[in-house]
Amino acid sequence: MTVFKTFSQVLNKYKATVLMYTVMLVLFGGLNFKTSDNNVNFTASKPDVLIINEDENIGITKDFIDYLSEYTNIKDIENNEDSINDALFYRDVNYIIYIKPNFRESILSNSPNKDEQFKQLISSSDRTIVEIKTTGDYQASIADMLVNKYLHLADIYSNTFEDENEIINHIQKTLSLEVETELTSKVDTNTLSQVTFYYNFLSYSVLAGCVYVICLILSSFKNKEINKRTIISSMNYKSFNLKLLLSNCLFAIVLWLIYIILGFLLVGSIPTNYLIIYIINSFIFTICSVTIAFFISNLINNKNAINGIVNVVALGSSFLCGAFVPMEWLPDFVLKIAHVLPSYWYIKTNELLKGVEVFNSITLKPIITNMLVLIVFIIAFVVLTNIVTKLKLKK
Amino acid sequence: MKTILSVENLIKKYKNFKAVDDLSFDVKKGEILGLLGPNGSGKSTTINCILSLLKFESGKITIFGCEMRPDAYDIKKDIGVVFQEVAVFEELNVIDNIDYFCGLYIKDKEYRKKCIDDAIKLVGLEDFKKFYPKQLSGGLLRRLNIACGIAHKPKLVFLDEPTVAVDPQSRNNILDGIKKLRDNGATIIYTTHYMEEVEILCDRVIIIDKGKIIASGTGDELKELSKIEEKVTVEIDSLDEKILEEIKQFKNVDEATYNNGILFITYKKGKNNLSSLIDYLKKVDVHYDKIYSERPTLNDVFLYLTGKELRD
Ligand SMILES: Nc1ncnc2c1ncn2[C@@H]1O[C@H](COP(=O)(O)OP(=O)(O)OP(=O)(O)O)[C@@H](O)[C@H]1O
Ligand SMILES: [Mg+2]
Repeated sequence: MTVFKTFSQVLNKYKATVLMYTVMLVLFGGLNFKTSDNNVNFTASKPDVLIINEDENIGITKDFIDYLSEYTNIKDIENNEDSINDALFYRDVNYIIYIKPNFRESILSNSPNKDEQFKQLISSSDRTIVEIKTTGDYQASIADMLVNKYLHLADIYSNTFEDENEIINHIQKTLSLEVETELTSKVDTNTLSQVTFYYNFLSYSVLAGCVYVICLILSSFKNKEINKRTIISSMNYKSFNLKLLLSNCLFAIVLWLIYIILGFLLVGSIPTNYLIIYIINSFIFTICSVTIAFFISNLINNKNAINGIVNVVALGSSFLCGAFVPMEWLPDFVLKIAHVLPSYWYIKTNELLKGVEVFNSITLKPIITNMLVLIVFIIAFVVLTNIVTKLKLKK
Repeated sequence: MKTILSVENLIKKYKNFKAVDDLSFDVKKGEILGLLGPNGSGKSTTINCILSLLKFESGKITIFGCEMRPDAYDIKKDIGVVFQEVAVFEELNVIDNIDYFCGLYIKDKEYRKKCIDDAIKLVGLEDFKKFYPKQLSGGLLRRLNIACGIAHKPKLVFLDEPTVAVDPQSRNNILDGIKKLRDNGATIIYTTHYMEEVEILCDRVIIIDKGKIIASGTGDELKELSKIEEKVTVEIDSLDEKILEEIKQFKNVDEATYNNGILFITYKKGKNNLSSLIDYLKKVDVHYDKIYSERPTLNDVFLYLTGKELRD
């Protein structure tokens, strides 16, 4: 408790600066909200799909086609190479699916009693029962998600059931539950871009606040003479360090929580799945800021230098990575440099999130990758801090 | 009497430079031991080694009968240290500073409050409880520094030059406080290069130079070491060269000099030195303004032992 109490007493001395970063966030991150007020509700637009069925239009094949018709716009285009390529090129269709003559037979023969060789047909990635051509864009990814979903279920149920109707029934039941919720989430894109702006700006306030406060507080606790007193005291030095670390983390998390709540109050609501990702992303970034602050405080012990460092680190990286101005306005070479900064990966995720209409493995993959990169940064800073501490001890 | 601290054959090197050179000494319960030595003689280094703050080449440190190690928290809880440099939080006021450092030792809130009050009283900071370090004068800051080091009522206290650059008022206050600590049962190790302080305060003195003990004992014992026993100063307007020569031939006189109207004579052992000098001056009809006799100081001892002044 002693460490924590003194931590908060020292922190109290620096509350004005923290308040300043918060006010900036509210003013600049919040002011932006009021600029546009026309809320537009938005449903994921259906992809344009061309189906070329080479199988008989009965049984499970028919069900598959019906399913696609329900969730996509089925296009009618002449079945020859040229017009198909044109359609793809001009984006008249996003997705073309050839249903092979053996489609139905292969699925049905996938029953538990059937030959192993058939089982491969559906589950393997180079399927022989459908062939696909896509524009590779976002709409195509939705179509692909729909197709994969169906084939995956067909694979599972044909493995468990013998009867075709039974298989179809089960597939339909599962699909009506899953696809519906995935496609109909209504997103207010306007609010979404405002939230994105708020969260982008948040990266500056969190990074600056953490580096400033943590460096100042650590420079007091780890002041050479004061540290000597701590070491010779009867408090276990390891447990002292742990308490100090936890106090710092607690500070950062409280700061983060306040900013999240402020965000709620300022923006209003966005769908939960978006919100969760914004929150997780900003949490990871907050932890990353703490590790950066610890690393910096290990390099400098001069209180007067900290203000300058905060400006260079927080202001600099936030500007380079597009926390204040949209990423697309920044020159390419700046963004290239920004790759080495954690803020870049954090803001990139926010920007990606702004464009997401449907959550599936394709849209989530880059988001999760960015988060993993942030976690790698966290690990890197922890390792670096340890190395610096060891080097200093040797001295 | 019980030995509280024992240092055996301590050697500490910085690269090839021996800062502490085979030092051995004991400290008994309830005594104030003075470590006296000029700047750079290795006093702080010795203390840092004793406290396991520095690794040392060889030697053995025993405190309260147990070997001292960096993780010997049982020993550490009864030790208080006041370092040479002031070590306080500039963001905290007097009370909160003492509370923090005391809190590293004492969990119990009530008892801690009492300890803090006692410490503030001991160093006389009652009127400055809510002051921040920046608002304190140099002397008051030193007193705060001491209060932070001893608030938890340690049994063994190290004070490393706590009176450097301190005004006389604060100095007296600090010295009184240290005596009170001893009276309350603490054992104290006090380093300084002010021999006056050592003479007032310490029961026993160890004189260190270049990391080695060159002498130890009580103040009087040490003075015995010096060949000088008395110093006489006479203020005379003018003095004949012949008379000076004659004084030099006096019984017991070690040395006599005359500079800028001051006749300075040092005596080896012997009695009635002053009265025979006065008689002589009367006889040769030399008029003097003032005449006074002093006992030698530890500085003279140091000068005698090393051939250099304790302070430059
Ligand atoms: N970290 C260090 N690296 C190298 N040499 C050092 C270091 N610390 C101290 N010394 C040297 O060791 C010697 C003893 O230093 P120490 O600080 O113990 O002296 P001290 O008796 O406390 O002097 P002072 O009265 O000035 O405080 C000095 O010559 C000093 O230059
Ligand atoms: Mg010293």
